[in-house]
Amino acid sequence: MSIQSLIMNLQKFWADRGCYLAQSYDLEVGAGTMTPDTFFRVLDKRPWKVAYVQPSRRPADGRFGENPHRVQKHFQYQVIMKPSPSDIQQIYIKSLGALGINLQDHDIRFDEDDWEAPSIGAWGVGWQVLLDGLEITQFTYFQQAGGIELFSVPVEITYGLERLEMFLEGKDNIYDLNWSEDVSYQDLRFIEEREFSEYNFNLANVRRLKDSFLLNEKEARQLIDKDLLLPAYDMCLKCSHFFNLLDSRGAVSVTERVKMIAQIRGLVSQIAEKYIARESSP
Amino acid sequence: MEFILEINTEEMPSAHVKAALEQMKEKLKKELSSQNIDGGQIETYGTCRRLVVVGDFAPSQKDREEEIIGPPKAVAVKKDGSFSPAAKGFAKSQGVRVSELKVIKTAKGEYLGLKKIERGKPTRDILSKILPQIVPSLSFPKMMRWGESSIRFSRPIKNIFCLFGGRTLSFSVGKIRAGNSIVGHKIYFPKKIKVKSFIEYREALRKMRVVIDQGERRKMIFNQIVRKLVSLKATLHPDEDLLERIVYDVEYPHVFMGSFPEEYLNLPLEVLSTAMREGQKLFSIVKEKKQRPFFLGVADAYQDSKSLIRKGNERVLKARLEDAKFFWEQDKKITLKERTKDLNKIVFQEKLGSYEDKTQRLKKIVSYLADKIEAKKEKKQVIQAAELSKADLLTEMVREFPSLQGNVGGLYAREERYPALVWKAVYEHYQPLSLDDESLASLTGAILSIADKLDSIVGVVGTGIKVTGSKDPFGLRRNAQGICKVIIERKLCLSFSRLLDKVIAIYGEKLREPKDKIKSYCLDFFSNRLRYIFERQGYRYDLINASVSVGIDNIYHSYLRLKALDSLKESPNFEPLIIIAKRVNNILKDQPLFRINQALLAEKEERELYTTFSIIKNNVLPLISKGDFPQVQRIIFRIRSSINKFFDNVMVMTDEKRMKRNRLALLQAISKLLILVADYSQIVIEGQEK
Repeated sequence: MSIQSLIMNLQKFWADRGCYLAQSYDLEVGAGTMTPDTFFRVLDKRPWKVAYVQPSRRPADGRFGENPHRVQKHFQYQVIMKPSPSDIQQIYIKSLGALGINLQDHDIRFDEDDWEAPSIGAWGVGWQVLLDGLEITQFTYFQQAGGIELFSVPVEITYGLERLEMFLEGKDNIYDLNWSEDVSYQDLRFIEEREFSEYNFNLANVRRLKDSFLLNEKEARQLIDKDLLLPAYDMCLKCSHFFNLLDSRGAVSVTERVKMIAQIRGLVSQIAEKYIARESSP
Repeated sequence: MEFILEINTEEMPSAHVKAALEQMKEKLKKELSSQNIDGGQIETYGTCRRLVVVGDFAPSQKDREEEIIGPPKAVAVKKDGSFSPAAKGFAKSQGVRVSELKVIKTAKGEYLGLKKIERGKPTRDILSKILPQIVPSLSFPKMMRWGESSIRFSRPIKNIFCLFGGRTLSFSVGKIRAGNSIVGHKIYFPKKIKVKSFIEYREALRKMRVVIDQGERRKMIFNQIVRKLVSLKATLHPDEDLLERIVYDVEYPHVFMGSFPEEYLNLPLEVLSTAMREGQKLFSIVKEKKQRPFFLGVADAYQDSKSLIRKGNERVLKARLEDAKFFWEQDKKITLKERTKDLNKIVFQEKLGSYEDKTQRLKKIVSYLADKIEAKKEKKQVIQAAELSKADLLTEMVREFPSLQGNVGGLYAREERYPALVWKAVYEHYQPLSLDDESLASLTGAILSIADKLDSIVGVVGTGIKVTGSKDPFGLRRNAQGICKVIIERKLCLSFSRLLDKVIAIYGEKLREPKDKIKSYCLDFFSNRLRYIFERQGYRYDLINASVSVGIDNIYHSYLRLKALDSLKESPNFEPLIIIAKRVNNILKDQPLFRINQALLAEKEERELYTTFSIIKNNVLPLISKGDFPQVQRIIFRIRSSINKFFDNVMVMTDEKRMKRNRLALLQAISKLLILVADYSQIVIEGQEK
């Protein structure tokens, strides 16, 4: 039992359901939802099936490697299916079976948990999936993005890989997990967590981060004007990450926060609108 | 004939299930009656995955007898008894022979016509037409679409099962076609099977681990809980809301008991029970109001033979409690007072600034309130509580468990050994959250609660946001009701309108809307909330109007007025008093205001009325300001004989202009006095139109 065998099982399972297996996106993101393979592809009307592992960074969640559950970087397994298949819930339940969980012995619950990202005019309806009380997946039917009603409707399934693996291995500490037969989560991640926590909370240079935010914001605006939407979106992702870092440094005042979020929101909405216009024009 | 409809969906929130069942029942009832179909009781059942309606409907519509009126008999039948062309033409138009026409007597005279019996259509046909309209018309607090389906619903519909008289009743909703098969529990029995009647349906589901009747599920949960608790001699930390949600969340309830290490018992009960409730929806177990190291959970399962469900939940809970313990210890390292320095970093509302700003306003409002209600002893403490009240928003504990805001601050303030009047105020200042909540325990809490809520209402209204039927994003209704509840329960006497002025003034330039507009909107808003509260308490509609429409400057007095009216309604004085008020009111309608000139009181009766009125007024005014409305009403009633004599003997609307005006002025004075108590003219008395 290991994280990599969990990933391999999921890859096999979703590839068999017609998903294209993407590789992780190569920029810092807060969640799989933010990567182009999800963000752009849910906007248009064409069918889309994709699955991939996405490392996700939330600088403020860092705990210097001292908390058994919280880390500033974790791994999500992201699945998008558009249109959502009518039996998607049963398919998802089967995927848990494929991981070796005998569901007859457990309590699996779909607990109301709608998703909303006002910054990009997006929201969806869905659940957090609880397995014997442990949250292992977010399950969401997207309804709107970029302020536009989505049709056909995509479904997003996001497994929390560490959570799931802790369940499978019956362990209480994330660092005790096996990544492979003989490499542990501790081996791979502990120093990284400690060092990044130090950086995120204490050492990230506030002035340079603010400058970087502004530079990337400017770059994004220019790129939008030139209709280079994918590069423009990358710039937004960078802004978003710089903002998160500034936030974990406690360096964002009330007014700045409002302003910075509005800046990113403005850019991303423009990108979404332009993308939809481009995709729907013949 | 038996009718069953089951809409099978992915997991809906419990509030959606209840709302949908109610609507399905109402809509079906309405359709049946408008279609002339006899339908007895309609029962509804539901789980998070099913909406079920069962009924017993007549097999067809009632036959309808219809009279079709033709030409008048005088025109249609000639003198010799033969039919005129008019009659023949009518018969032809109706497709009958002229000899089949009959004479029909109406109020306007005799006509020729015919009686037609229209046979009722089969109920089955009607249902298959109305159901495809009813199902997509159900409305939910939030609706969604899925796949490529055009319809909106609470959650995706998976299957529709519908029988009438034991046979499939087929219709389509979007791409889903109703059929005669059902599925069981999503894990144990996801395969479709066919059933032919409700009894079969119910029993098949039970075998497939679904108990369809919510009442029965509730009982199952309750019985299992009782059984688990017996040996512990403990009770559940009561949580009716949680139980209500769980009843719908599970299709087959299995209650399990788990435990956690005793080291976490040092955490306050509030923290423990919240950690259990949120996320895992577990019940905390208490004995003599102290947490025991156990919990109860309800699984959607038939059994937990390997104890995996229990162990899994124990593991998750332990991690949560470990976090909570960590937060509890960490948070205490920084005092609340120190934390207040960072309140400028968190936004209260985008246009209204930070929590630092809010805290400063709260201090001023509570100080004003303490003065007005003469809470001299409490003033210092409540200002201190206001200063600390929002500090807990910066704690890890509140970040983790937002519903504990206030409580956490109060608990930390207690740990820091603030006086009870301070920490209790912080603890309970977000309460009451609903009209059914218990009363606040401390006066300081009551003051801070009013200040906090009114600050939010005035601020939000002042930015131009209005509450509409469906939109109340900041919970202003709940806040206003909370304020009214606290004022009434605490019997607080103060001018609400001046309080509003004060809060508006404290905000100053921050509010965009004009001050008088904010104030009149708030007064209106609060009168409506007050009406709602009174209606909910079961008071008569017209009595509520009579007491609220005279103004709500003193909210507690509004309540006292209403109570006085309510007890008066049983007394023999009730009708006469109202008749007097109405009579005075009618005469004064559309009259400009006049002033009394004593010298002009000519008749004996008007002089007598003036004297009686003056005495009554002098007696009553101090009682009104004290709010002793029952006594006020008793005294006012003494005007009865003078006023009746006045009306019997004095001509108000006399031609002599000055006299007329003077008499109207006297009645206006009386009316003005009555209005200080209630607007009696709004009260409906039996046998009289309003």
